[in-house]
Amino acid sequence: MTCTLGEVKQRADFIVYWGGNPAECHPRHFTKYTIMQKSKFLPRGRKDRTMVMVDIRETKSAKAANIFLQVKPGKDFELITILRALIKDQQVGDEQIAETGLTREALDDLVQRMKSCKFGCFFFGMGLSMTRGKHMNSAALLTLAAEMNAFTKFVAMPMRGHGNVTGADVIMRWQTGYPFGITFNRGYPRYNPGEFSTVDVLVRGDCDAAFIIGADPGATMPQPAINHLKRIPTICLDPHVTHTSKLARVHITTAAQGISAPGTAYRMDEIPMPLKPALKSPYPTDEEVVRRINEAIAQKPFWLPEGSQPQMISTQV
Amino acid sequence: MLRITGGKIYDPANGIDGQVKDLCVDDTGTIVSSVDGGRTIDASGMIIFPGGVDVHTHVAGGAINFARAMTPEDHRRTQAFIRTQSRRSGLGGMAPTTFATGYLYAGMGFTTVNEAAVPVLSARHTHEELADIPIVDKATLTLMANNEIMLDQMEAGEYERAKNVVAWYIWAAKSYGVKAVNPGGVAAWKWGSDAKQLTDPIDGYNSLTPGKIVTMLATICDDLGLPHPMHLHCNNLGAPGNISTTIDTLKHLEGHRAHIAHSQYHAYGGDDWDTMCSATVQLAEYFNTHPNITTDAGAVLFGDTVTITADGPWQHLLYKLTGRKWGNLDVENETGCGIVPYTYRPSNLVNAVQWASGLELMLLIRNPWQVFLSTDHPNGGCFWRYPEIIQLLMCADFRSECIKTLPDRIKSKITLPEIDREYTLYEVATSMSAGPARALGLTRKGNLGIGCDADIVIYEEEDDVARMFSHPRYVIKGGEVVIEDGDIRETPEGREFLVKPSCAPETDEFMRPLFEDCYTMSFENYPVEFERIENPNMQECVNASEK
Amino acid sequence: MTVTLHLKQPPSVPLEAEVLSPNVMAELSNSEIRSLVVYHGKRQVPLEEFFDVEGERSDELILHGELTKVRMIGRAMSSGSITVHGSVGMHLGARMTGGSIEVHGDASDWIGAEMMNGFIHVHGNAGGQIGAAYRGALAGMKNGTIIVDGAAGLEVGMRMRRGTIILGGPAVDFTGLQMKGGTIILLSGAEIRTGAWMNRGTIISLKPLQMMPTFAYASDFNPTFVNVYTKRLKQFGINLPFTASQGAYQRYSGDLSVPGKGEILVWQPA
Ligand SMILES: [Zn+2]
Repeated sequence: MTCTLGEVKQRADFIVYWGGNPAECHPRHFTKYTIMQKSKFLPRGRKDRTMVMVDIRETKSAKAANIFLQVKPGKDFELITILRALIKDQQVGDEQIAETGLTREALDDLVQRMKSCKFGCFFFGMGLSMTRGKHMNSAALLTLAAEMNAFTKFVAMPMRGHGNVTGADVIMRWQTGYPFGITFNRGYPRYNPGEFSTVDVLVRGDCDAAFIIGADPGATMPQPAINHLKRIPTICLDPHVTHTSKLARVHITTAAQGISAPGTAYRMDEIPMPLKPALKSPYPTDEEVVRRINEAIAQKPFWLPEGSQPQMISTQV
Repeated sequence: MLRITGGKIYDPANGIDGQVKDLCVDDTGTIVSSVDGGRTIDASGMIIFPGGVDVHTHVAGGAINFARAMTPEDHRRTQAFIRTQSRRSGLGGMAPTTFATGYLYAGMGFTTVNEAAVPVLSARHTHEELADIPIVDKATLTLMANNEIMLDQMEAGEYERAKNVVAWYIWAAKSYGVKAVNPGGVAAWKWGSDAKQLTDPIDGYNSLTPGKIVTMLATICDDLGLPHPMHLHCNNLGAPGNISTTIDTLKHLEGHRAHIAHSQYHAYGGDDWDTMCSATVQLAEYFNTHPNITTDAGAVLFGDTVTITADGPWQHLLYKLTGRKWGNLDVENETGCGIVPYTYRPSNLVNAVQWASGLELMLLIRNPWQVFLSTDHPNGGCFWRYPEIIQLLMCADFRSECIKTLPDRIKSKITLPEIDREYTLYEVATSMSAGPARALGLTRKGNLGIGCDADIVIYEEEDDVARMFSHPRYVIKGGEVVIEDGDIRETPEGREFLVKPSCAPETDEFMRPLFEDCYTMSFENYPVEFERIENPNMQECVNASEK
Repeated sequence: MTVTLHLKQPPSVPLEAEVLSPNVMAELSNSEIRSLVVYHGKRQVPLEEFFDVEGERSDELILHGELTKVRMIGRAMSSGSITVHGSVGMHLGARMTGGSIEVHGDASDWIGAEMMNGFIHVHGNAGGQIGAAYRGALAGMKNGTIIVDGAAGLEVGMRMRRGTIILGGPAVDFTGLQMKGGTIILLSGAEIRTGAWMNRGTIISLKPLQMMPTFAYASDFNPTFVNVYTKRLKQFGINLPFTASQGAYQRYSGDLSVPGKGEILVWQPA
């Protein structure tokens, strides 16, 4: 249940930001894509749109909203689950609703607005996807959006962080069938977030080398993961000196994507944007470095002994 | 250089029906009359086909890529391609990964595929994915029928402008032609409703009807001289009684060339799911009297698949029917698409009608140059199951066995049990290669004549037709032996076919303000750069006046 | 006769060893067992590189050592037994169809995931996703019994369809997430979101639970099926109270958001 930002700009008359602070984190989001835009279908722009903000505190973004719903910390999943019940006319007790920090009136009003809009959209941020419950919180909102399509058009979209996170996700999907959390140790892609996702692998100390491109886990990951990166040979490709490059055994300085290296970046709605470099860089691009490493590896003996093949893990028992 | 000797050749483009003949291939991968030296393949007792051509499939782009992410459980149970020194890793199944897609197509003798639905906005993405599909040559069709800029021109009666808009988009998307999905319908779906009648104005417009869009777009494709005519996915897909819409649509195409996609989904009688029945007799009759139109079957095979189409309303209906997980992806200003994992069951009366209807169309449309093998992959079944369909077409006995497994009540709803036609090898070669190549306007494909691409499949003759067609002995692509004895030997990159229809120079300036109003991408960033296409191959447009 | 394996040294990266299964060992000689292939990261190595092997041709396996990085022990086994003296890694007994596994130590995530039948008893603590469905799959464990004496992690019994999971220690969040059937017994309760999005099935807790808002209190009662369970669980030394003199179960139904017909029974001592 997703769409492109252009759809939102053109048609969304009901926009809910959940656990994100677009006014400060994605400043162009409001003006470029969502509430401020006028369109053929919403000629009065901001006046034709209703904006709801759901968050645990009143941020700058909340002031821009028509409706601000302050949910108690850690109650997002409960609140979304209540909404799933309410849209299906299931009875939920007042006391239960009160535990989320909201009132029945507020939720009835929200449900009524959700059902009567023409095109609704949820944007959700780290405040939802990175708090207790994590992927289940996002799953809850996606499910709610899917279920809302029984009444009207509704979509949900994550507000992703910086860097080309979406691009990596999209390409992994077409090459391997999975977005992240993939292992190739048996010669073909296998998927299990929590087992093969980077942060879990590092925290458990499951890898004996690390190769990092376009990310700074040294700044964002939990301490045990950082400690493991320090323990093992870590290679880092980055135009800048970062927390990760400082702890890495090898730091290769590369040209900055989009500034001096060409390529494609995928927007948070998976629309590809060409990167057209304006400057020349004395440094090689990430692509060139990886290609040269790859060529060097190809000179070595193949990783499998002659004639042997790893065993597939069959789910047919 | 390559010489293939002693094989029985089935080359419908040149009227060759099983004659024993030698084939020679030169260093450029072209079929020539003779060669000196090089490898010789002794094909005595074997059967030789031109490489298969899939006229309608979905193998790359945002929608199928979304489907991949939605079906990890299928990836786990499917056959994996384990990396070797010549082959990259991947997964088969309902929505195969890119590398696997190339290996699987080539593995059953297909060498050209047409990705039938590319939203312009994600064309760049589609081309990046196609570059990762090895071996096969590729073409793409741009989704047009619900493009608001074009619709506005049509509504205003500005035919020339609309034509220029179409031409501009085709080149901007670096595609090969035009796909029209559910004209007027997807635009309406974005508001949660659907265009059902061809003569009712569509939501948000005063006079523009789906019927008018169909006629105008077909005229535009003809006038631009596109090698492939308008590729049309009719309104009302999958709905009981939609035969009237389909016939009505076809009537709007009189005097034009057109290709009707997956007509199985558009050939139902009845009023609701209980009374739904096959109406293929009526549809086939129309095709039999109108040689200007081609179609592909969009056949259904029983088993698991994932359905993805740019037809949002149909997908939502499926979701309501099955309650399975559902993903919907709307691309601004152009189209939407939905994704639902689905299982076709013989015990389900609706599915049984669908299964029979696809086969009926292939058997009742008399001219194999008009109806082609397809499952609308992955919607009706996965492309790597085509050999099962060939078996159903070639063996009436096997067909009757399958019909016996269907519920009794099916009898009054289908005509399949009364059909005893069996495809000959010549007809199979027409339907899976020569016919679709001709419909696509790819003159060097599906043809083993001198000067054509050396895309050649060699089968060991076997009684088990399904086995024979799924395990070719050799597959040759552009003169290179890519499959031999069931092994992938070479994985060359495929080409991409493109056209550049003529477009009035002022179109850029006309588009710019409209564009920036409609889209969230800057006008300059929008067109896919020609340099971004790996191995592009330009095809000529032939203007109608020059024909 | 048994096959006994001693881990020589803990692997530096995960060791995937689905061959550590009675089905595989039952017909093999000692040298054949020693040359079975295991995956140390991406390297294929013979089993003997990591294990000393005693015995042959037996469907009774005994493992010794610090096996926390050894994954898929007993995966897809259909009969026989595995006894582990030490702690084990992920996917213990995943997709097993029969036989039994006993661990004198801790276990990790995904134990008994998608199992069809059989018995797993972990005497220490376990990780998350016990008896769960792998990502994207519609159903988790379809039958069998899993007992963990200690604590457990997230998403225990996620999408399970039948079978029983018994936790002696506390569970974390999302116990019984999207459950479709079967029974989870919590002797020490769980943190939050127990039974979220459950469709059918039963969760019994002997400690008070923080209920999801989308569960409705139905009644207090002493269902006879608890009685049946109590008898079955006696053999494992587990006592489930059921008589009215001891107290009663508060019955909640939900999850309303699905809307589902699952039930959560919370013991209220008299
Ligand atoms: Zn299609």
